[in-house]
Amino acid sequence: MSIVKLNNQAVKNATSFGSISSLGSMTFIKKLTASSSATLSFVDGSDGVVLDDTYKEYVFTFNNIHPSASGDGNKFQFNFSTDGGSNYNVTKTTTAIRVWHYENDSETGLDYHTGGDLAQSTNFQVITEGLNNDNDHGASGTMSLFNPSSTTFVKHFITETSSIRPGNINYRYMTAGYGNTTSSIDAVRFQISSGNIDAGDICLYGIA
Amino acid sequence: MPRHHNINGNIVPFTAEEEAQRDAEEQAWNNGAFDRAMADLRQRRNTLLSASDYFALSDNTLTTEMSTYRQALRDITNGLTTIEDVNATVFPTKP
Repeated sequence: MSIVKLNNQAVKNATSFGSISSLGSMTFIKKLTASSSATLSFVDGSDGVVLDDTYKEYVFTFNNIHPSASGDGNKFQFNFSTDGGSNYNVTKTTTAIRVWHYENDSETGLDYHTGGDLAQSTNFQVITEGLNNDNDHGASGTMSLFNPSSTTFVKHFITETSSIRPGNINYRYMTAGYGNTTSSIDAVRFQISSGNIDAGDICLYGIA
Repeated sequence: MPRHHNINGNIVPFTAEEEAQRDAEEQAWNNGAFDRAMADLRQRRNTLLSASDYFALSDNTLTTEMSTYRQALRDITNGLTTIEDVNATVFPTKP
């Protein structure tokens, strides 16, 4: 199979496309791997973690987040910090939408999930819900965080995940919202509402 | 086993204060499990009811099958007393 080329360079090395230069990039910053961890936190300024004005957008990827606790379904959630991780309590207003489909094809649905949104609350924001510790349960997805270092504007974010909850129901869970602060966000914490993150990893990328 | 934070890849044990706070949060969470499951079931039931509301408009004739289906949706929370009951709930098939 021949190599696809742009400007006589392999695509992965291309720096321009026609008249468009500076194609941009998605730069890997840090990977955190859960091992019965109560929380996973990315804090700007140490251990290679960058969460400042270096990038205008950051992307977190969630890979097979698996809770330790059984039960009615745990929530995978996050919060922001504006003080380097001392406190995770940024005020947020958010929305949550979920789509579901039973493994046995008995039911499908779509609704606005009132149990997953926030209205000017400092609580942790749900990324997805209904997680159990069966091996065929868990969640994967992404979160985009826009311009976290702005001292002028609020901090928008979008999350999207695929997960499986008790009853063997596939969930597509989507949230969006903003951290209602003009302070720089310099840390993000992820956790499960009850118990630990048994396994899984979260990667942080900067978008240029 | 004591809980820990993973901060930028560094393992940081919970303080005694954090352990106590987390214990209290988890207890409160577990105490509300059944109520959350029922609230979730009702919301999904209400979505299905809304999706068939137009069959019950005054200029429509509601069939017996649709009437039975909608009544079964309304009754779906009857007799549920445990999380397991809620998770085992099967919604009726829309005619």
